[in-house]
Amino acid sequence: MTAVPSTAPAVVAVCLKWTPSPFDGGPLGPDEGDDRFAGVSPADRAALELALQLSDAIGASVTAIAAGPSAADRVLRDAVAAGATRAVRLDMAAGSDSRDVAFELAQVVADACVVLCGDYSLDRGSGAVPAFVAHHRRCAQALGLVSVDVTASASSVAGAPDGELTIHAVRRLDGGRREVLAVPTPCVLSVEGSVASLRRAPLRRALAARSAPVEVIATPPAHHHGAPAIVTPYRPRARTMPAPAGEDVLGRLRALTDAGTSGGRGETVELAPREAAARIVDTLRGWGYLD
Amino acid sequence: MTAHGTPRNHDHAHRWPEISFQDRMDTVRFDVHERAHIVVDGSKCEGCSTQHCVVACPANLFVPTSDGGIVFNYEQCFECGTCYLVCNVEGAITWTYPDGGHGVVFRRT
Amino acid sequence: MDDRSLTTTDCDVVVVGAGPAGTCAAIVLARAGLDVVLLERGPFPGSKNMYGGVVYPRILDELIPSWWEEAPVQRWVTRRSTMVLTPDQALTVDFRSQRWGAPPYNGATAYRPDFDHWLAAHAEAAGAQLVCSTTVTGLLRDAGGRVVGVRTDRPDGDLRTRLVIACDGVNSFLAKEAGLYPPVDAANYTLGVKETLALPKDVIDERFGVRGREGVDIEILGGTGGVNGGGFVYTNLDTVAVGAVLKLPKLAAQRRRPEEIIAGLKSHPAIAPLVEGAEVKEYSAHLIPEAGLSMMPRLAGDGMLVAGDAAAMCLAAGIWLEGVNFAMASGMYAGRAAVEALRAGDLSTAGLAGYERRLSSTFVLRDHRKLRRAPSLVLSDRVQHVYPELITSVVERMFRVDNPAPKPGLRRIVRDETKRLGVRTRDLVRDGIDGLRSFG
Repeated sequence: MTAVPSTAPAVVAVCLKWTPSPFDGGPLGPDEGDDRFAGVSPADRAALELALQLSDAIGASVTAIAAGPSAADRVLRDAVAAGATRAVRLDMAAGSDSRDVAFELAQVVADACVVLCGDYSLDRGSGAVPAFVAHHRRCAQALGLVSVDVTASASSVAGAPDGELTIHAVRRLDGGRREVLAVPTPCVLSVEGSVASLRRAPLRRALAARSAPVEVIATPPAHHHGAPAIVTPYRPRARTMPAPAGEDVLGRLRALTDAGTSGGRGETVELAPREAAARIVDTLRGWGYLD
Repeated sequence: MTAHGTPRNHDHAHRWPEISFQDRMDTVRFDVHERAHIVVDGSKCEGCSTQHCVVACPANLFVPTSDGGIVFNYEQCFECGTCYLVCNVEGAITWTYPDGGHGVVFRRT
Repeated sequence: MDDRSLTTTDCDVVVVGAGPAGTCAAIVLARAGLDVVLLERGPFPGSKNMYGGVVYPRILDELIPSWWEEAPVQRWVTRRSTMVLTPDQALTVDFRSQRWGAPPYNGATAYRPDFDHWLAAHAEAAGAQLVCSTTVTGLLRDAGGRVVGVRTDRPDGDLRTRLVIACDGVNSFLAKEAGLYPPVDAANYTLGVKETLALPKDVIDERFGVRGREGVDIEILGGTGGVNGGGFVYTNLDTVAVGAVLKLPKLAAQRRRPEEIIAGLKSHPAIAPLVEGAEVKEYSAHLIPEAGLSMMPRLAGDGMLVAGDAAAMCLAAGIWLEGVNFAMASGMYAGRAAVEALRAGDLSTAGLAGYERRLSSTFVLRDHRKLRRAPSLVLSDRVQHVYPELITSVVERMFRVDNPAPKPGLRRIVRDETKRLGVRTRDLVRDGIDGLRSFG
């Protein structure tokens, strides 16, 4: 992990997943240059708002980054109108491979103490980019946050001996449980859409942002940078199921659906991180989630 | 066809399924804002015998209540203005546009 | 209290509303080198707009030469039908001209979210500063009542300017706030409702008898379930729009829901074969300033002009149903008058008189004046509820072969049918003269 040198001005980065129009407008429908129905998800807007709040609290600047064609400039200019200080567009086709996007993002956010992302995009991708960015940055990650305590996070700087920022946040777990986190920086966070609602841009800023510069970074063709294995959506493999055992129809139905049996195949184990990860992978493979 | 073999008008009406009102409204995109841009003062509606808004609103947003009042839903509003124009009770409908960027978004109109 | 000399303005002109009127005003102003802010409350221009389906863009010759090569047109109208309906009869006058399918064209079907968005891009290219998602909530005025800017719903949202052009649509709260409107009467408005129905392009081509980009515009009298108004059917590339225009007080009084009236139109034997099997892709509604000249506001105030639907620039004259062209033209002339007034440094009502002068010398007000009686005649009870049946029953008897009875002769049929329907000759003659006056 590399700490941000305390002399450099702090940067909060927010990654906005630009998604082209999902709307089928017929034979004359929108092309890739049409930005009317394109945009970012509510979760990404929440991430931007959180980035702005955090930067206000700790005196940082905000860099907004999107990947896409020039039509994506609009969401970046909207971010500048709302208060972002720098806008960067990675010039790549919409729908580029998550690993390539994450690799390029990681270069741009290299100086950021906090990288914020929405936890889902308008096209409901795999949500893997934040994790990949954290992987490239070799930094902490906390994904799917339901709240971030900006005040507590900002005041953590004063309490820490070396002035390090710690993010205080809450993450959603299965079964309605919550996990309270203190995330060391630098870190990558992804947030749900409900954590904050994006402020209206002031009129004068909205006017000025129309001509705000957007830094365009040319990206090399796709080449999956040393990425971890691809995570595919869950496709259970076919397997032979024995006929359910049971006295009557209801009994067989219960046997088939596990209804009425005590909940949870889950188990709690305490292991070192490396062993724990291996155990999770083994278990997932056993359940048919991984090939 | 009738028993006599002559086509009747209403046969045409049943050659395609008539969609439910909710399905009809679901064809329209709305970016709903948390602020209600139209407010109906239900107490003013109690003395209203005509309730023109209930009939005329193309989005069917005005629902009469059993006690003679009106319940109004602003979320799927076309922002047309019909309701305040046909209303004959002063001050019953407070009508504004939704906040910028919100409300109905037409696509094939 | 207000010291104008100390008040700096943020721009030369604020245009409210990026529909066809506001956009054309902004194009003219920006090309004249003026600093124009174009405000739009929707997320993009056209997102709030819906209409009866056909735009006549020839006025754009003056602003965008060869507009037809780039405008997002669905089909070029080469077939225009006027249909008179009773519950089980239909009389159609059908006109086709292949000349309308080639430049410079005549009418075109287009989606407003496409068309207005395309047009607004020209305003931006000319240098106008378009800001979307911004609702104007009121006017800023000085102590003397002169309009000096607008208030928007954004933070820090006041914009001070030398001139406001209100193109804020049929409900124009700005023109009303400025006191330019006479008291509002619901009878001056109609509600347009429509369904956009999906059908494959080849099915549309076959059912409507067109090829390629040729399109059809059908205007309908009757068939609106006893509510004064009219219906329409027109073709897009792979959708058909079916809708009705309904007089507001009648709609409320008849207790018929708008969507029921569309369903009634769609099930009429003359319409059903055109649209059957089609899936509803979008349902929409919008108001129309139907009464034309008689409802128009004053078009200029100190520091302010009004154009487009906001100024009731909509021609609803039965066989002519136009609005977008009047909006574009009124916006364009407002822009030209504004350039003139800004250069002369006089933005008072008198200094802005060039606007009305331009409208009066062109089709915008000349058509409205010529057809000033048409809207009320077309929506009158006799034209709406009696004449459709009179016309169709006369035609039905003309073409009915009642052998062994001999043919009755046209005069006899007309006499019989007017008597049967209780139409007084006096009314018929008066309406005939009215019609000649209105449309002549």
